[in-house]
Amino acid sequence: MSEPTKMATVQRPVAVFLRCLLCVGALLGQFSAEAKEGKLVITGSSTMAPLVLEMGKRFESLHPGTRIDVQTGGSSRGIADAVNGLADIGMASRALQSQEGNLHGFVIAYDGITIILHDSNPIQELTDDQIKGIYSGIITNWKTVGGLDAPITVVNKAEGRSTLALFLHYFTLSNRDIKAHVVIGDNEQGIKTVAGNPHAIGYVSIGTARYDATYGVPIRLLPLRNIPATLETVREGTFPLSRPLTLVTKTEPTGLANTFIEFARSPATHDLILQHYFVPLAD
Amino acid sequence: MTPQDSNLQERCGTLIAWGAAGSVTMAFLWLLGDLLWHGLSHISWTFLVSAPRNAGREGGIGPILVSTGLIVGICMAVAFPIGLGTAIFLAEYTRDDRPMGRLLRGSLDVLAGVPSIVFGLFGNALFCQALGLGFSIASGGLTLACMVLPILIRTTEEGFRAIPLDQRLSAAALGLSRQTTVWAILLPAAIPGLLVGSILGLGRAFAETAALIFTSGYVDRMPESLMDSGRALSVHIYDLAMNVAGGNPNAYATAVVLVGLLVLINLLASWIAERWTTANHLPA
Repeated sequence: MSEPTKMATVQRPVAVFLRCLLCVGALLGQFSAEAKEGKLVITGSSTMAPLVLEMGKRFESLHPGTRIDVQTGGSSRGIADAVNGLADIGMASRALQSQEGNLHGFVIAYDGITIILHDSNPIQELTDDQIKGIYSGIITNWKTVGGLDAPITVVNKAEGRSTLALFLHYFTLSNRDIKAHVVIGDNEQGIKTVAGNPHAIGYVSIGTARYDATYGVPIRLLPLRNIPATLETVREGTFPLSRPLTLVTKTEPTGLANTFIEFARSPATHDLILQHYFVPLAD
Repeated sequence: MTPQDSNLQERCGTLIAWGAAGSVTMAFLWLLGDLLWHGLSHISWTFLVSAPRNAGREGGIGPILVSTGLIVGICMAVAFPIGLGTAIFLAEYTRDDRPMGRLLRGSLDVLAGVPSIVFGLFGNALFCQALGLGFSIASGGLTLACMVLPILIRTTEEGFRAIPLDQRLSAAALGLSRQTTVWAILLPAAIPGLLVGSILGLGRAFAETAALIFTSGYVDRMPESLMDSGRALSVHIYDLAMNVAGGNPNAYATAVVLVGLLVLINLLASWIAERWTTANHLPA
């Protein structure tokens, strides 16, 4: 008597489950079938990813029907993905090394860091060792490095900023060695802090600092190893504290990849590059 | 020991217990207060529905909410049936001392302790590369499913184990088959455990960053299919806070949305559990 009921109760959930599985499978199959023509996958440097993502959006709006998918994971990953074909283009926030000579690298912008002081500070130049001394708390008065008798206010970047990573790497410091009085987040905040304190020292992206100094903010960009901190020296690659932002391909780029790389290197993206505090290529 | 001494001891104990409880509450309130203070003013309807612009510094999180929903949806759609099946097997079809049960339980314990970044790398290797799904919402959802299975299975299994043995014996005495007993008698009674397990899994899935950054990816466009890459809320927060200068205000606002969702899910879990338990104690 209870036989029909029992059958129904037993079979229904199993059948529903199987049907769900079938549906999911069919959906996935359908979606993979409509994989798009004109799609580029770009992976790599997390410093570059936000910039390239914006470049991609502008490129998509100029070339309807194309898609630029940007993924992060770091420079090494970008190069690895470009080599094994997971990505059409890799992103590396450094120059290609000699053993990577078989790859093709295209610089789209530069990232440079400059030491800044208040404009009224008489110091015109500091050696690398002096800067290292100031940041590790060994030198605490401007008098020691030939300036006024005043305590130095050390402005450092917050953990996790690529500027901090580049700074620490160049001066072979670890963030724990740094004796900072002020910890700042973005470039503008750093510039405001130094512009408001005649005895402060800080470091920010060159693009932003040049821009602000030109528009009358009272800061001075110090040269490093006698090389002035200008957009030109960064572009030439002579300024020590700088790195090129590079797009990497395994073979000579063709088709869409080539069009995108040309677009990324063109003046049409300069405003985006400046918005991300990087230095564009020369016009 | 004089009565005064023990009195003092008593008071110290009370003070320490209160202090410990108070500091936990403080930490939570501080976190929540900091988030709300920085983030609440940026949240608006436009923020929730519009697309991010200028690397996320401007605009909203519309596509990111959609991607997150799809990733979590796939995760639950895959994890739920597998989790339920395994839980039924563990609770009803095997004994604790049988090799199969021990092997399963052991692997679940290991899986539960694996850091999520390892799931991310595993998901990238298996779903993105070996199975050719690429950076996609499907890859992210499947990776998350692997991650939430242990918690889902364990909670569901507890739900089945909480059912008194009498019910199984009565069912057997009535001549019901094992399958009928499981589907018609035990499953309805175990539903609260199943729901709580799903909702805990859902919470873990929503909050995940490391497992998703290498699987569902970074693209912040509105997804058009499950094979598109889509950025999850937590990945968006991570990127805004770490890689985008000037991204902090929107990172805070996104964090408020995420924490709001998690609080909602947890409230729902406790409400359902409470309701079901009360309902179960009533005579049927």
